[in-house]
Amino acid sequence: MSLINEKKDFKIIADLIPAKSSVIDVGCNDGSLLEFLKEEKDINGRGMEIDQQKVQLCLSKGISVIEGDADLDLYDYPDNLFDYSILTYTLQATKSPKNVLSELVRISSKAIISFPNFGHWRIATSLLINRKMPISEKLSYSWHETPNLHFCTINDFIDLCEEAGIRIEKQANLKTNRLNKFYGKNLLNSYFNEVGLFLVSKIKN
Amino acid sequence: MNENKIVELATEQALVLDCGKSLKSFKTAYTTYGKLNDAKDNAILICHALTGDQYVASNHPITKKEGWWSYIVGPEKPIDTNKFFVVCPNVIGGCMGSTGPKEINSETGKVYGTDFPVITIADMVRAQKLLIDYLGVEKIFCVTGGSMGGMLVLEWLSKFPEMVHSAIPIATATNHSAQNIALNELARQSIMADPNWNSGNYYNSDNKPLKGLSVARMAAHISYLSKDALHSKFGRNLQDKSSLDYSFDADFQIESYLRHQGFTFVDRFDANSYLYITRAMDYFDVSSSNDGSLIESFKNTVSKILCISFTSDWLYPTSENKKIVKVFNTLGINVSFIEIETDGGHDSFLLEEPKLFEAMQGFIKSTYENL
Repeated sequence: MSLINEKKDFKIIADLIPAKSSVIDVGCNDGSLLEFLKEEKDINGRGMEIDQQKVQLCLSKGISVIEGDADLDLYDYPDNLFDYSILTYTLQATKSPKNVLSELVRISSKAIISFPNFGHWRIATSLLINRKMPISEKLSYSWHETPNLHFCTINDFIDLCEEAGIRIEKQANLKTNRLNKFYGKNLLNSYFNEVGLFLVSKIKN
Repeated sequence: MNENKIVELATEQALVLDCGKSLKSFKTAYTTYGKLNDAKDNAILICHALTGDQYVASNHPITKKEGWWSYIVGPEKPIDTNKFFVVCPNVIGGCMGSTGPKEINSETGKVYGTDFPVITIADMVRAQKLLIDYLGVEKIFCVTGGSMGGMLVLEWLSKFPEMVHSAIPIATATNHSAQNIALNELARQSIMADPNWNSGNYYNSDNKPLKGLSVARMAAHISYLSKDALHSKFGRNLQDKSSLDYSFDADFQIESYLRHQGFTFVDRFDANSYLYITRAMDYFDVSSSNDGSLIESFKNTVSKILCISFTSDWLYPTSENKKIVKVFNTLGINVSFIEIETDGGHDSFLLEEPKLFEAMQGFIKSTYENL
């Protein structure tokens, strides 16, 4: 999926990651985020990507990449192998978002997750007024050809984290480019953020 | 400078083999392409498969066919001979000039035959290490190979990790499955069932175990291809005839094709070598020196690695290759993996497969640039 404000998103993600961290980008696309993080934060990066042409692109850029599926192949990694895992605009396309989330916080100390927020006011009003599945910049596919299996709103995501024993540490506001401490579930959060971008970790028992 | 060369190795200190015996002053036949640069950081070692040899990118002296990996090795190819110093040795136990069963035992002055010691993949790698030392290479930029060649790559990564900057094991496994061993045993039994084999003593005879070797090759060849490829290439088509002959001649094209594969193979391969090398593959378990622990076996590996498998390969399937990837991942090794979709079966690494070309080129080029 193409990222509209790619560089802006990248910057916010880079701000969340300390220098020299080990990072896996799940659904790493052509590897440009990993390249960006290498340059900005000198990370030790790995990618996973389901689309072989993009895997080839990563290889040609010198990025270590596994051709794999987030739903199936995260199980192959041991606990806490990475400092950070990243899943941008992919959660809604997985078969089992809950398992994928749980795996991400298992294989890394912290996970950065972003997804298109189906609860954004523009989407919500579009659905309400047109009675058709919304198409926007962030949700650019028609309903019958979308790879997205599980749309969710920011509030849905917050609920899922709670259910899966995952703590939300920070949330980014992509409008203001700011990282906020997470204040919790509220109507405005889900209403005004086009994208949900969260820093999460596993709640230790 | 791509002509065949032969060097005598272990002239002072014998090479001790896994079986306990040792080889002194053994020969390794090899080819090289390109030049070792001043920094000595551009050497690529290519490991051949069971029936491969050192003629990786030059015409074969017997078959006159172009090198077995000419698609991948050459000027401007993924293994760019303008840029890299490429070394491809014939394994010990082989039959293209390296010390093996058909060569003379310098101690007795007689042909080895089955007196040749049983060798292992690890022995082959130890022998290759001596060649690499002899060539003045301290760190190999990349070690690569498919099938048995991939096993040699894994053995290099495990036993000489500090000498390998990067590696591309292709269509391989960390050990031989029961199915792999079974197929090799079928091949060996067909050779040994040929009366001309004569317990391995046939070198001075006019009658060599060509039929046995030919059947061994036919059986193996089936395992290199996929069902779909066989179907699309041959189907149930008849060979130069319009109806069945009601005989045991080659009625079907696939029969004729396999017979041809068998007949032509015996011109360039030695039956005893086939026994020795298949045995080495069956014995192979990269973790055997670490009580079966793959993690222990690769704990010192620091190379950048690209593992490649093919969807229709049922001999060394993707699952076996992914097992290798998983071990490397667990150890935090810089590993990449790509599964190439093709109906070419295990043999795909030897075919003109553009996606293999692209993956190898991308990996090798970017890895060398970031050296």
